[in-house]
Amino acid sequence: MIKLTIKDLRLFFKDKRSMLLSFALPIALITLFALAFGGAGQGKKDTKISMQVSDLDQTPSSASAMQVLDSLKNVELLKVPLEKAQENIKKGDQACVLIIHKGFSDSLTAGKELPLELQYDEAQEIQVGLLQQSLIPTIAMLPFNIGNPKAVMRNRFDKMVPGASDTVKQNIQHKSDGLFDAITMGEMQSDGNDNAGAGLFGGDIKMTKLVAAEKDNSLGLVQAVAGTAVMMLLFSVVGIGAGILDEKQEGTLKRLLYTPMNPIKILFGKMISANVISIFQLVVMFLFASLVFGLDIYSHLSGLIITIVATAFACSAFGVFLASFAKSRQQVQGLSTLIILVMSAIGGSMMPIFFMPAFMQKIAVISVNFWSIQSFYDIFWRNLPITSGTFLSRILVLLLIGTILNSLAVVLFRKNILKLS
Amino acid sequence: MIAIKDLKKSYNSHEALKGISFNIKEGEFYGLLGPNGAGKTTTISIMSSILTPDSGEVLINGNNIYTHPNESKRIIGVVPQEIALYNELTAEENLWFWGGLYDVPKTELKKRIDEVLTLFGLSERRKDKVSTYSGGMKRRINIAAALLHQPRIVFMDEPTVGIDPQSRNLIFEVIEKLHSNGMTIVYTTHYMEEAERFCDRIGIIDNGQIIAEGTLDELRKSSSAKETIVITFNNLNDDKVQKIQSFWKDCNHTDDKIYFYTSDLKTELSKIISQCSDAGADIHNIEIKKVNLETVFLSLTGKQLRD
Repeated sequence: MIKLTIKDLRLFFKDKRSMLLSFALPIALITLFALAFGGAGQGKKDTKISMQVSDLDQTPSSASAMQVLDSLKNVELLKVPLEKAQENIKKGDQACVLIIHKGFSDSLTAGKELPLELQYDEAQEIQVGLLQQSLIPTIAMLPFNIGNPKAVMRNRFDKMVPGASDTVKQNIQHKSDGLFDAITMGEMQSDGNDNAGAGLFGGDIKMTKLVAAEKDNSLGLVQAVAGTAVMMLLFSVVGIGAGILDEKQEGTLKRLLYTPMNPIKILFGKMISANVISIFQLVVMFLFASLVFGLDIYSHLSGLIITIVATAFACSAFGVFLASFAKSRQQVQGLSTLIILVMSAIGGSMMPIFFMPAFMQKIAVISVNFWSIQSFYDIFWRNLPITSGTFLSRILVLLLIGTILNSLAVVLFRKNILKLS
Repeated sequence: MIAIKDLKKSYNSHEALKGISFNIKEGEFYGLLGPNGAGKTTTISIMSSILTPDSGEVLINGNNIYTHPNESKRIIGVVPQEIALYNELTAEENLWFWGGLYDVPKTELKKRIDEVLTLFGLSERRKDKVSTYSGGMKRRINIAAALLHQPRIVFMDEPTVGIDPQSRNLIFEVIEKLHSNGMTIVYTTHYMEEAERFCDRIGIIDNGQIIAEGTLDELRKSSSAKETIVITFNNLNDDKVQKIQSFWKDCNHTDDKIYFYTSDLKTELSKIISQCSDAGADIHNIEIKKVNLETVFLSLTGKQLRD
């Protein structure tokens, strides 16, 4: 029995594929998910949520406000001109922009409501929600930190008790100023992030949906369908692509080469079948989501068809490329499991990318999943028309990925697969 | 019909073919005989244009197969050594697929599929998946798939490896029928019985070289192979063996048998029997082994054909 155990252990440790799947893959995934969920390097800049700010007031007060916002631990402030910021949101590159409108300084001095507006993409409401939690207390405390809190108090009391006599108002004002002086003395030691005064001063920000979400489709549903569909499609197209290696192993490839057919047509045939199956698979998945979960696909049919075709093209090219690159089906399976899980994790198949740290969001662009899922967001959530530059640019990237991978597959097919010796 | 000129092919440092040349006439059945690893499959792969030689030339019907691959491929059918079929497709679906790659018109292809299925005795199983077939049945479909475009030349690379006697006999009958219909056949095998049965001419290949070529009779005559007389004795002892070996040097002794080698059986047989009697040995049985491809090959290479 011990001999059998030792033999099995020897076989296991000699099998590189088993080693890869047992150790390297889980370690890689743990690392990846730790990075994705912000578990690594806590407190570093990369774990912050990014927020654009456009300062239209351009006064020392607005600059001070920016400084206060910039000191927030979990927010990365990006100072961007308004037009550019709005463009970034429409493209889906950023979730929101905080606009400091003209008159901010005057309002601050006069203790009036601050002209602040948060324009955002409803598709990224979770990220915006997280930002609000940090922003509201800080903005509420802006008059306290950089403005005229007594004037704010005065205005608030005027609003709260509009029918009060001047004597009553003066009395309240006097007590309030005294109370405020006492608070100021104590709060001067605070870091400014404390929300003690939030309820008193308010923290109102005008919220404006720059990109409205399609009401019929929930974000979670779009994420679940698109994310899962793309990830599973990648797994299945790799299987189709690996068919080339099966043909080589079983001798049918050699037999195909005996015929008058141009050898490269063998690869093209595989590419076309992979595309057709991919399109079919995506259609079935979205029909299922429509029938069972009520995903509204019919209002977005043209966009859906375009995205499905582009996704199928890029994913099938990935499958054929990987098969042409590898030497055996076993190698394809090992490689594909690793690559697809990594791409799915960073590309947003497993969770929305806005949950991830900024640097992970930046590297998401290297995955097919990212471009495809964002395209599905564009049509089902951001409700972009198919003529939208943002949507078309993503489709173009998918087609480009497909073209590059297919071209590489042709080169590798000639070099690796057709080499029969 | 086929001219092979000085083919050379190396895989890294291993020389698989060291300059092979031979010619095959139209309608001829040519056998390439050699042990595993001798270079048979490499030669067939080059002749089928799926492998490029390092040097040399292959002319099929006057066309260089590398400058005119399609002309050559259309008149060649190749039966690969492995069963190169799609297991999850039925026999009929496989035949439709493989025949379709040669642009055979649909109605004509349907007729030919019916013909080959009948020829190979598989009409009743035509709708069954190949994965459900026995090894012999798969071999039959493997050959049938190479005949659908009615090639003038067929390369058969060890087409009967690992099959049952019933399938083997059926395949032999089909091969003989194809040959009698005028098809040029190049047949590689390491089964000497098959080569002896079918081949008009045989090329013996070993270590990437044709070491002998000709008809079976020509090969027998050209080799130094001798016929063997095997005599089994009753009560054979060392003394009798010594006496026998003293008059017949070219012999071997094992247990109760002595193997006598001779190049002139008719003259020498009676002389050997007479001298064995003179030595006092009691003959129990006499067996004569004539020169065959196996012995020819052994005399040429010093190796058994199935090594």
